[in-house]
Amino acid sequence: MTKDDGEMAEEEQKKKKKPCRFWIWALTSVIFRLILISFPGNLNLSSRPEVSTPLTSIRRLAEGYWLKQASMSPYAGSMYHGSPLLLSVLGPLTVQRIQGQSFLLCSLVFVIADILSAMLLRGIGKKLQMAYGLNARLLGHLKSSRDKGILRCGDIAALVYLWNPFTIVSCVGLSTSPIENLAVILALYGAVTRRVPLAAFGLVIATHLSLYPATLTIPIIFLLGYGLDAPPIKLFLQTKSVENEDRSTSSVSKQAKLKPTTGLPFLWKTVMHFVFWVLVWSLWLLVLCGLSLSKYGGLEEMFTRTYGFILSIEDLSPNIGVFWYFFAEVFDFFRNFFLIVFHVNILFLLLPLAIRLKHRPCFLAFIYLAICSILKSYPSVGDAALYLSLWALFVNELTDMKFSYFLFCGYLGISLLSPVMHNLWIWRGTGNANFYFGNAIGYACFQIVFVVESVSAMLNHDRALRKSDSNHREVKN
Amino acid sequence: MATTEQRDKEEQVDVKTDDGSPKIKSRPIVQLGIFLISHSPVFSVVFSAAGVLALLLLPLLAKNTYISENALMPGSARSMLSNRDVSDGSKLVNNIKNFRLNHEGQGVEVQRLIGKYMSEMGAEVYYQKFHPEGNQFHPLHFFSGPDSDTLLGNVSCASYGVNVAGIIRAPRGDGKESIVLVTPYDSINGGNYEALSLGIASSLFSLLARVTWLSKDIIWLVADSRYGDYRPVAAWLSEYHTPSFKASNLVKCDGVNTSDSFRRAGTMAAALVLKVDGRSERFEDTLSIYAEASNGQMPNLDLINVVNYLAVHREGFYVKVEKVVSLLSSSWLKIVGEIFEAVGKVAHKLNPDWNFSIPAADYLEGSATLASSLYSQALGIPTGPHGAFRDYQVDAITLKVSPRFPPDSKARQHDFFLRGAQLLEGTIRSVNNLLEKFHQSFFLYLLTSSSKFISVGVYMIAFALLVAPLPMVAASLYIDGCNAHTKSTHNPAENLKSWKWLGAAKQVFALHLLGFIVTLLPYIICQVPGQHSPTNRSIMWATTSSSLLLITSVTIPGCSPFSSRLHGTNWAVLKSVTISAAFIGLCLMSIINFATAEIGALLLVPMCLIVRPLRTDLRSGRVKSLLRALCSMVLVTIGFPVMFFAISRGLTGKGLVGLSLGGEFWTWLESLWAWKSATYLYIGMVHLPCWLLCLCILFSPS
Repeated sequence: MTKDDGEMAEEEQKKKKKPCRFWIWALTSVIFRLILISFPGNLNLSSRPEVSTPLTSIRRLAEGYWLKQASMSPYAGSMYHGSPLLLSVLGPLTVQRIQGQSFLLCSLVFVIADILSAMLLRGIGKKLQMAYGLNARLLGHLKSSRDKGILRCGDIAALVYLWNPFTIVSCVGLSTSPIENLAVILALYGAVTRRVPLAAFGLVIATHLSLYPATLTIPIIFLLGYGLDAPPIKLFLQTKSVENEDRSTSSVSKQAKLKPTTGLPFLWKTVMHFVFWVLVWSLWLLVLCGLSLSKYGGLEEMFTRTYGFILSIEDLSPNIGVFWYFFAEVFDFFRNFFLIVFHVNILFLLLPLAIRLKHRPCFLAFIYLAICSILKSYPSVGDAALYLSLWALFVNELTDMKFSYFLFCGYLGISLLSPVMHNLWIWRGTGNANFYFGNAIGYACFQIVFVVESVSAMLNHDRALRKSDSNHREVKN
Repeated sequence: MATTEQRDKEEQVDVKTDDGSPKIKSRPIVQLGIFLISHSPVFSVVFSAAGVLALLLLPLLAKNTYISENALMPGSARSMLSNRDVSDGSKLVNNIKNFRLNHEGQGVEVQRLIGKYMSEMGAEVYYQKFHPEGNQFHPLHFFSGPDSDTLLGNVSCASYGVNVAGIIRAPRGDGKESIVLVTPYDSINGGNYEALSLGIASSLFSLLARVTWLSKDIIWLVADSRYGDYRPVAAWLSEYHTPSFKASNLVKCDGVNTSDSFRRAGTMAAALVLKVDGRSERFEDTLSIYAEASNGQMPNLDLINVVNYLAVHREGFYVKVEKVVSLLSSSWLKIVGEIFEAVGKVAHKLNPDWNFSIPAADYLEGSATLASSLYSQALGIPTGPHGAFRDYQVDAITLKVSPRFPPDSKARQHDFFLRGAQLLEGTIRSVNNLLEKFHQSFFLYLLTSSSKFISVGVYMIAFALLVAPLPMVAASLYIDGCNAHTKSTHNPAENLKSWKWLGAAKQVFALHLLGFIVTLLPYIICQVPGQHSPTNRSIMWATTSSSLLLITSVTIPGCSPFSSRLHGTNWAVLKSVTISAAFIGLCLMSIINFATAEIGALLLVPMCLIVRPLRTDLRSGRVKSLLRALCSMVLVTIGFPVMFFAISRGLTGKGLVGLSLGGEFWTWLESLWAWKSATYLYIGMVHLPCWLLCLCILFSPS
């Protein structure tokens, strides 16, 4: 955390001077990863519960691949719970040994995934920055067309992603979360750049890999239907009406003819196009999975062993989430009830947030991902890496976010405390499970504060726009 | 601890809510937070003083130990030790003495003799060869748990040790649990006293070989202490838990045949290390208990309780725990003790239920023991071979017995063996009763005498009070710094009000990174070819570190103490971030090793709190400011690790100056990292960066 924000600060100061700074920092981060990859035994990150979960651990993937090679179902033995396609892609790489290091090729794949994610984030950021500048000009806050004073959120987000210790750790620690993150970012990129098939592809793959990105369907539909993030539509209507009043004395202009509508047009055609592509890609995916698992129980086996495993929380080994402790304690006959209660939590939050933030679909996607990362059954720091970098896309809007320093210290303290507590419990034997779980609760609290503060800062930003807009009008009148 | 931290942080939040946002009627907890922060100077003085006072009060708050696990039932069974067992032990000791008189310098033969005795008693015997050098510094192996350091490469037959171990299989057990008894013995130059420990152990072993109540296997390890006590035990444990499947070169060396004979007896429930040394100064036989393992870890308190109970109430030993002797004669501590005693008496008069008064002499004794306990925990170096067991989660203590007779007095020897073996028998019988591993009693405690302890819930209060000012002052400085900065710049484009701290965080991060590199430097310096004295190595270290500091301060302006301008940040924000970093570091350290954190906090907290730019203080010319400047100068001087080391050496009467100090310091640090002490990491990665940052603040322009 220190690092990433340190670098961010650096970047914020330098970004105006030269764009090539970005490439230097990006390259450095790649080199840093490569250096870390060359000490696999010493760091031993892949066995940390914070980094690799039962879903993302590469060791389990290698085990699944081995089982498959031995003509058994990859899901036999309850070791592997990931996608069969990932097995076909990464599996052959796990058996290649280069200079005695078993997972070197896989780590290289993860580094490439990280670079691609960063580039896509940069693309999203550029679009968002343009939209921000455009909106600001339309509302009359920004006179010049030079976009002066707007932070390059794409570069910042990409660097936050590349230099975030969480990303680095999950990349070097051989968890498959870089690939899951890449799929999510790909879906968002497709939606932002209005490449409908790409968005559908990313969404389907991300959902297939880790289920929770299914919630992103709503923001992506908003993105395709309403367009990019913008201030609430009322503001534009007010501005227009002001302009119309100004011009009413003169001859009838084109704009006056436009009747003030109560909402933006929703592009049903694009959305239907998107739904069609989602169906096409899902069918394609199911066929591929079915083919690869045809001998081992087929799709039914896949659904029970992947989605079923995620939803029924079978593995109670400790992680940074809050579910394992609770479900280790709960009585068996209440288990199903509490499973429903815990999972419905996410669903309950979807609709109110969608209504409140429908004018900012990208931000909505960020909030959904952050909430999923809190309420996930097997969370890891890779999820935090994803939503933190998406958050950096909104630096322009969130400049007045409160508690930034407090949150920073909290994330830093928790992420340092977690290995210590784990050591105390598992290795020294002087602590117990409550120590580690207490840390997990602290982490969840900080994430909640982070989400709440982000949302309220965004709403405050909108409110401030409205206020300044009305002031603007009064002055004009 | 996490909750305290959180609460402190909450206060920080609450105050930040207040600043800037529209005026809303705030909740009482928010008001409390605001009140604390707005009066932070007063509260920080009060809390720090209370922290120090609580530390001094700790000997008063110590509770009597009690046996928490009911299954232990110490002393409930009558001892079955017979005179025949004791005479077996005496025979072994005599044989060894005679053997050593006849054969000079034949190391392995003594082990063979012991092995023969063991197998005659009906034990499974095997020998293990080990290589004496094991402690190598590797920066990344700090917390990775016990590793099987397989330095099988160039192992010569010139120097190796041979451990003998015998296992008695329990008649009522299933071979899955065991109790370990260790007697370190140096067969070449061990004194006569050392052989007595073998006598006690063999008396006991002879008994245990025929009893029917054993349900855990007994392992008797005679560790070859030619190369120190710790190493043979560590080598044996490492082989026991993580066998190396590569054949070691040592097997080929002549002497005893050790290949394929290593035997195991399941998980260890407890381990006792027995040593006999020196003559007791007192009238009774003395038993000293050593419990501190690496990084301040302690064995379960129940184990100490059982031994203490049996030794005091059954065998009549004088039991003691190590103490700092120089404190016993210190006058200021005596005065403090007398004050506490007087206050306690007054309180007792006011309310007869208040019984916290203890005599000043007891207080003195307790604080000397507490100081020693704190010191050995803070160093993180185990105080005996029992430390090796703790790395494998086995509870172990070292018992050092000093008899009151000269070593060759035959008549007293019998009685001594009897009592020693009865003590061990009782302890083993108690541990034998256990159904689970030790878990009932405390793991986190400090001893003030062998029968008094301070639990984690009490001593954490002292620490929490000491560090409580840090988040308060950080919050108040943060608010001040932000407000000052907003006033000075009215450029709306730069008005990132909530992100002011990023510049300061960058600086703090850079210096912590520097601290990390400086911490790793000794590893590289040790790789430099050629033989170098510790003094030379310390000079190398100092020059590289300072040149690194120079490079950092050139590349990142603001990181050097002597830069003319601070880059965009004012000192208040920098100090706030520094204090937060110190707070996080201290809280983390208090969980890893409490004693280090407590001592570190005593140094770091006043330094971080008081430090302010020197120039403003000097320019103002008021007495108060000058006094503060003086105080901060003194604290910063003491806070430098080398300086603190020199001062503490000077206090213990070994004053050092100049280059020899560097050499001494290097040797000290080398011992820390060789034992994987987290204190070394703390010094390099928390204390040193915070000290540098304090220096930056001290010399920054206002």
